[in-house]
Formats: sequence, C-alpha cells, structure tokens
Amino acid sequence: MTTATLLAYVVAGVALVSAAGVVLSARTIYAALCLVGNMVSLAVLFLLLNAQFVAAVQVIIYAGAVMVLFVFIIALLDPGHDPDYEGPRRDPRLWVGIVAVGYITAQVFALAVNGTTYSKTDHVLQGQRLAQAANPSDLHSFSFTPDAVNAAGNVQVLGRELFTTFLLPFEITSLLLIVAAIGAVYLTRRMPHAPGPPSERASVAALPEESAPDAGRETVAVG
Amino acid sequence: MLDIQVFPLLLGLSAAMFTIGSVGVLVRRNPLVVLMSIELMLNAVNLAFVDYGRFLNSEDGQIFALVVIVVAAAEAVVGLALVSQVYRAGRELDIDDLSEMRE
Repeated sequence: MTTATLLAYVVAGVALVSAAGVVLSARTIYAALCLVGNMVSLAVLFLLLNAQFVAAVQVIIYAGAVMVLFVFIIALLDPGHDPDYEGPRRDPRLWVGIVAVGYITAQVFALAVNGTTYSKTDHVLQGQRLAQAANPSDLHSFSFTPDAVNAAGNVQVLGRELFTTFLLPFEITSLLLIVAAIGAVYLTRRMPHAPGPPSERASVAALPEESAPDAGRETVAVG
Repeated sequence: MLDIQVFPLLLGLSAAMFTIGSVGVLVRRNPLVVLMSIELMLNAVNLAFVDYGRFLNSEDGQIFALVVIVVAAAEAVVGLALVSQVYRAGRELDIDDLSEMRE
C-alpha cells in the first residue's frame, strides 16, 4: 500500500464522517462546518486523482464562496427557530423515503461494483501503456509521475477541452449563471407590505411590557 | 501512485455520500440543512465523475465536475435567496409548512 493509497483511505473516512455530520448535526452552523470539512477532504481526493484544477475550484468556489454564503444566511436568520429541535418528524413519508433511499443505494452500489469490472476499453489500455512507459517497474497501478502529468498540464488540457469540444455546454453554463444572478436579485428585493420576520414581530409585541426607553417612546408616539 | 483498489472504494464513498444527502433531504425540516444536503449529493456526483475520469484516463469527467460545481453554486444562490425571502415574509422556517409556495 503506497502512501497515497493510505492517504486516500484516511481522507475518505473523514469525508464519510463529515457527510454524516451534515445530516445529524442538531445546529445548522455545525452542519455547515461539517460540509466545509467534507468539501476540503473531497478536494484532497481530487488532488490524489490527478484533478488539480478541480481541486482548486472545489476549495475556492465551494468551500470558499458557497459556504461563506451559507454561513452568512445562517447568521442572518434567527438561529433559535430551528424546527429540528422538536425532533425529527414521524410520519409515513419518512418510512417511504427510507425504503426509496435503500433501493437507490442498493442500485448505486451494484453499479459501483459492476461498473469497474467491465472489459477495458481502448482508453484504459492506452492509459496503462502511458503509465507503464512512465514507470516500467510498476505494473499494477496507474502511476503518473509528476513529469508525465506536467508534460501536458492539467489546466492546459482542461482549458483546451472546455473551449473546443465542450464549448456549447460552457456557454450554456454561463447563461445559467446569469439567470441565477438575476433570479437571486429579483427574489431578494424588498417586497411592499411584508409583515417582517417573526423575531421582529415577537419583540414588537413584547415591547410594552419591557421598559426599554426606545420602546416607551415608540409606543407613546404610536398611541 | 494510487492502487487500483482505491477506485471502487471512492465510488462506494460517492454512493454513500449521495445516500446520506438524500436522507438529509427527506428527513430534515430546516430548509438550510436541506440545501446543504443537496450540495452533499452534488459533491458525491463530482467525486464519481472525477473518479471515473481518472480510471478511464479521460479528462471529460473533470469537465463535467466543473459544470456540476457551477450548477451547485447557482442552485445555492437561488435556494438561499428563497429561504431569506420566506423568512422575511414572516413565515417559520419549516419545510413542511412550505409545501405550497403561496401566501
């Protein structure tokens, strides 16, 4: 077992535990932190799988931008009103969901086991020839030395593919980003006649009993 | 240098993460946690893409992983905008109460 394989096992364990933590955490902020850990360990796995650019994008966009957005929204909303504090819901839909998830899991595991044993295509054979040319003594693992990887370059190869073969999906992706940005701005605009968040309404209702000076002035002004 | 046994292991990890994410979508009632579970499922798909791409020595899996990352970012932005708007409209953040998207 090589060092990289050992590292892959350890990081896969971390990813699994933190993924369970996302669902099992009682507080939303802990779930977000578990998701950050899961994304960082996935980035390590991407590095081990020779996907350097995807690993960098994973850390920058996912663990950086998207999770900052999540934590920002969690901090903005009222943390005291977590409906899961009342315990998980108990109704028949939960059992239907568990059965469906079990079925899907069995299917995906069967695919994952069978999918890696089909007859090797030309791609695999070509990759094995490249790997053995790079390291003739190693016959059992796909081993790309740093020289073999840097000869082409991960970012260069990805960029060339992205702007030639996959140009249309790339452009459609940019359209999706524009639509998402416009949709987010449209959705978060301030609506007229909105009653305000429940915490504000609760504090307004509780104000006359509390002898805060601002509250007293406000009630006098209203009355 | 990864041993070749790692590739099915990572596919199993991907399947397990997808399952955990779908359980989170089905069981949790906090819409923020539901959104995070969806992110978890998309991450699992990314791992499967990159793993298969490495196994087959093709760069296409990484291209699709990049597209999935962009889609996940767009989904998170729109979902969080919806959650904040629901909160601002004075509704409790319980996903069972939001089965109909009207007032």
